[in-house]
Amino acid sequence: MRGPGRFIEDLLGSRRPRRFRASHQDAEVIRTAITLRAARPGSGTPRPEFVSALHERLAAELQAPAPQTQVPQTQVPQTQVPQRQASPRRRFLAAASLAAGAAAGGAGLDHALASGQAGPGQTEPGQTSAQGTISPDDGTWQTVLASADLPEGTVRAFDTGVVSGFAQRQGGLVRAVSGICTHQGCRLRLAAPKTRLVCPCHGASFQLDGAVLSHRLNIALAPLPRLEVREVNGSVQVYM
Amino acid sequence: MVTGEVYEDWEAVYRDNIGRVYGLMFGKVGNRADAEDLTAEVFVTALRPLLLPSPVAGVRAYLLATSRTVLARYWRRTLGQQVTELVGDHPGDMTTADTGSHAVGKAERILAALPDRYRRILQLRFIEACSISEAAKALGVSVANAKVLQHRALRRAADIAAGLEAG
Repeated sequence: MRGPGRFIEDLLGSRRPRRFRASHQDAEVIRTAITLRAARPGSGTPRPEFVSALHERLAAELQAPAPQTQVPQTQVPQTQVPQRQASPRRRFLAAASLAAGAAAGGAGLDHALASGQAGPGQTEPGQTSAQGTISPDDGTWQTVLASADLPEGTVRAFDTGVVSGFAQRQGGLVRAVSGICTHQGCRLRLAAPKTRLVCPCHGASFQLDGAVLSHRLNIALAPLPRLEVREVNGSVQVYM
Repeated sequence: MVTGEVYEDWEAVYRDNIGRVYGLMFGKVGNRADAEDLTAEVFVTALRPLLLPSPVAGVRAYLLATSRTVLARYWRRTLGQQVTELVGDHPGDMTTADTGSHAVGKAERILAALPDRYRRILQLRFIEACSISEAAKALGVSVANAKVLQHRALRRAADIAAGLEAG
């Protein structure tokens, strides 16, 4: 019984047991060994170092709008990115990166600016960092366009004074993204064919859903944050 | 536990339950390295979506459910079968301060049911943390004999444990 024997010796030697393919009988013996080992005095009490280290780790993950370097982005396949964006922290990061970029444009998201270091530039080239929806603390719905001015298949620029962006109607649905480049905060232009947003400063381009299309920058570029949009009484409104 | 008690923030949840979850996990995996990893996994997984303030009993039940999932995944990953589990809904496991007492009681019952030499070798090695040569010396046998004795004792203990569970 090499597998279970070694497993049990690991338990006794307080080492991490090595894995093996256990039979039903092995499982019974191991279960008993665990019961006996757990009865050793002091077993059930965590080390103080462990308790404080885990506390620190949780504080970093839960509380602080931690820098993106804490997320192993290089190992995250693209397909997993949207799942990660679901957390409030990630959404906040996206807003922060916008604010960092929009500083030149006078956007006044002070709380987000404080975390401006979380902006683009820390991710690996070719990786997109978090894209999120801008969610202001005390936002209101603001009319940016008349619905009639945004017929099917069109894109229109808008400016609320706090954010500028682009609204698009496709397949009957209206969506909106920020119109500020996530690199250095220049205002994007709608370029022909009218399916991409181009930065006049360094030529970065984005899709209308905010995804990075192309750029020649030596850094990773964050996608454009989205805005919450609704249509009420013939008006297109964004939450801002 | 007072009903109506709530946890105000994640720190309160952590302070109050870190010992419980760790004790629970150690009782199910029997080694520190894995118990620490699994405990960390439970808190990292559970705290993020937790809405606070929240009643103590509900949070503990939720931590227990998370622990159960984390443990099941651990066994699938390591030995390919669920060697130990956090069964049923025993919020009692999470509400008693001394989570180790259940394991200790069970170990004592198993040991008590063993023949003398079997009990002695297991006590020396598992409870008193003796090496195999120390245990051999204490029993007055060769190391090779001590190994055989331990192997047989553990098999017998497993049968007894199975009997205890069934009965």
